[in-house]
Amino acid sequence: MDLLLPPRTFRMLEGLRISPRKSQPGRVRGERLTRRAGLSIEFADYRDYAEGDDLRHLDWNVLARLDSPVMRTYRDEEDLAVHLLLDDSPSMAFGEPTKLLIARHLAAALGYIALSNGDALYPVRLGRREPPLSALRGRSSFGRFASWLGRDVADDAPTSLSSSLRAFANSRARAGVAIVLSDGLDPDAAASIRALVGRGHEVWLVQILSDLDLEPDIEGDLRLTDGEGGAPTDITANSIALRKYRDNLHEHNEGLADSAKRGGGRYAIFETSRPLDRFIQDTLKREGWLS
Amino acid sequence: MNFARPDALFLFLPLAAVIIALYLLRMKRREMQVPATFLWPTHTEEVRANALFQKLKPSWLLFLQLLALAVTVGCIARPQLVQRGLTGEITVLVLDSSASMGATDVSPSRFEEAKRLAKAAIESARPGDRIAMVEAGPVPRVVFSLSSDPVRQLAELQPLTVSDAETDAGEAMRLASAIVAGTEGARIVLLSDGVFERIDDFSQGNASVVFQSVGKSGENLAIEAFGSSESQKGRLLFASVRNFGDKVATTNLTILADGKVVDSSQLQIPSQQSQSRTIAVPAGATLFETRIDAKDALAADNYSALSADPAASLQVLKIGGEDPFLDRALALDPRVTLDRADRLPLDGGSSYDIVVFDGVASEPTTSRGVLILGKAGTGSPVRITGTAARPKFNGASSSEILKGVDLDGVYFEEIEVAQPIGSAEVLARSAAGPLIIADTKPNQRVVYTAFSPLESDFPLQIGFPIFVSNLLDFLGGEAGEGPLVVPVGRAFSLPANAPSASLKVPTGGEVQLKPNGGAVTIREAKRVGTYEFRSGNAVRKVIAVLQSPRESALAPEREIALARKPVKSTDAPLRFADFWQPLILLGLLILGAEWWLYARRS
Repeated sequence: MDLLLPPRTFRMLEGLRISPRKSQPGRVRGERLTRRAGLSIEFADYRDYAEGDDLRHLDWNVLARLDSPVMRTYRDEEDLAVHLLLDDSPSMAFGEPTKLLIARHLAAALGYIALSNGDALYPVRLGRREPPLSALRGRSSFGRFASWLGRDVADDAPTSLSSSLRAFANSRARAGVAIVLSDGLDPDAAASIRALVGRGHEVWLVQILSDLDLEPDIEGDLRLTDGEGGAPTDITANSIALRKYRDNLHEHNEGLADSAKRGGGRYAIFETSRPLDRFIQDTLKREGWLS
Repeated sequence: MNFARPDALFLFLPLAAVIIALYLLRMKRREMQVPATFLWPTHTEEVRANALFQKLKPSWLLFLQLLALAVTVGCIARPQLVQRGLTGEITVLVLDSSASMGATDVSPSRFEEAKRLAKAAIESARPGDRIAMVEAGPVPRVVFSLSSDPVRQLAELQPLTVSDAETDAGEAMRLASAIVAGTEGARIVLLSDGVFERIDDFSQGNASVVFQSVGKSGENLAIEAFGSSESQKGRLLFASVRNFGDKVATTNLTILADGKVVDSSQLQIPSQQSQSRTIAVPAGATLFETRIDAKDALAADNYSALSADPAASLQVLKIGGEDPFLDRALALDPRVTLDRADRLPLDGGSSYDIVVFDGVASEPTTSRGVLILGKAGTGSPVRITGTAARPKFNGASSSEILKGVDLDGVYFEEIEVAQPIGSAEVLARSAAGPLIIADTKPNQRVVYTAFSPLESDFPLQIGFPIFVSNLLDFLGGEAGEGPLVVPVGRAFSLPANAPSASLKVPTGGEVQLKPNGGAVTIREAKRVGTYEFRSGNAVRKVIAVLQSPRESALAPEREIALARKPVKSTDAPLRFADFWQPLILLGLLILGAEWWLYARRS
């Protein structure tokens, strides 16, 4: 599978970084300033000297002028946990190109950005039973990430999107930015997103939808079988049914967006017919997902 | 609401069962995989079925299809609305134009009222209704045949006028019945006052008969008789006036001789009674007239006339079988008043000018003329010696009787072989014997033919009516050139030697006539009054008079008898008008709605 992004896209990704709405506690020193005092060069505040303080941070000018020892404090820098949750459920195999392929391209771009900025990247495959991957750091890990991304996982009993999200939420994953790349076509997806938010994650939901999802071109009397394995449904695909479907989809998407934004997260729809470059430029950069 | 074919309604159940069965068939749906099904509506509309059974679900499509089926079956059953109106889908209007219809007891006259009814019926007819009209006048005729063209029908109706003659209503009704023979649901509408002879010979077939009586009152005075007789005191005139009304009436009776009043008297006549007046009239007068000054409903019967020339009026008695050719030829002569009998009256026929023995053995009579056709009896101028079959004409002598008549080539099936006796003279003969023999006695003239006209093809020859006319001249005495008095409305013939002829009618117009074979047949004398006939330089006055007690008895009938079945007058009969056109429109609308619903849900 060709997951290499074109050089033009790589050039566009240079200098971009994941821009979470809130800071997350880091686990190792990184390049993300935290609210905690630390050892970065970013000045934070003054405080009175206490015995045992490192004299290197004593403000000598203040001592000379006021004859009072005052310590300068600095903000700490830690890494950011970026959980990249790629939906690999059967419903992602629809569309031309498939929603999964588009999701992989977008994941590659976001993963590259995260790795380039020293964030800890945790790739997670939703809908498939797969052991979790350890954190990837640094640009040198992109090859490993790309290898994971391009791997097709055979699974005789795929799990649903909502089950996978709940399983992730219940895991011991450190709080961070949880980027969900999914079509969201699961009746319990919104509740699962809310569970994710409840675990302290800042959820970024990119809903990837194809034309078949947005404007299904079907007519007549049909028996619809569910790509996710749900019960088949008999429909008469007429204008009434199509209008009802679009209303249901809109309502479902509203629920997903509401769930994602509830914990300060973000939500966007990525139509598969739209170029990746345009989506990154016009949506992710313009709306502040990336800075 | 009524159905012309109610049995067709039973089609609904099996056809509805077929439609419902189609809805019971389970739909075989095309399978299609989609990313998720939970977003699709769970409620589905089944618009087709092509597999085996399922539970019947309520469906607007099913409802509309059953409704369309109901409307279609309703159309097949021919729903009809009950309406009031003279016309039906197929109608023959029979318009009585006889003398009694000229009565003015309804304004302006019964005939105009009948025309108004006919006009209203034509104008109120529904599109597609076919109407024909028969005029029941002296000679019934079809005014317009069955059509659905009201403009043309009204144009044909407008010029119709009433006559002063008697009507042959039976013939008119038979003509109307023939027009709609074999047609279901036809209607014959008779617009008349019912003043006509009883109609026994009539079959209405599948048609219904509606009689609408016209007229209110029977008040009328009429000259019921006007005649003359010779007596020892000279010529006596007899005039009788009858009051056909229910009240005593008074009128002045005036008698004129050659236009001069010779008598005038006031008569007071009780209801349904007659009063007469007999006067002696001066010798030398050629025309007698009488009139009453009654302001009654019918003016045509208030006048009568009588020619003084005894040959100008011939009372003919025909004894024997039915010979329509002879009857028609006799009727064409304006002088003839024809009576028929099976046997000679006890007075020996003295009240008749001519007695005709047609196929029966002759008997001695006292009439001044006797015609014996094919069977000589006592009093005949011949002696019979036998019979001969199919003799050929062998020649004729020159005589007034055979003037203009050519017997050469006439086929005779059988003749009596006769020998003339006495002064009898053979006028025509065949190889087997005399064919025509004439005898002139001091008080009687006799003509004998050895053949019966019906046993020859002589009646089919053009010379036959001329032969009959010549016989009447010979037996009755040739009429002079004085005024001729004829019954109004009756066709008659007059000699016309010029290539053209004309008739000046009382209303002022002039009718051009075309003579044929030295005579012209006149059918235009339909109104009472004085006509002037011209042929070359010859001019003859013809006076048409109405003397018909039947027509003068004006009281309108509210019930008539047709073939002995009573038919009551109905002002506005019921009619069944087809109602399928709006239903077809409704059915199309339902099908349109069904199509729209199907297209919307498919």
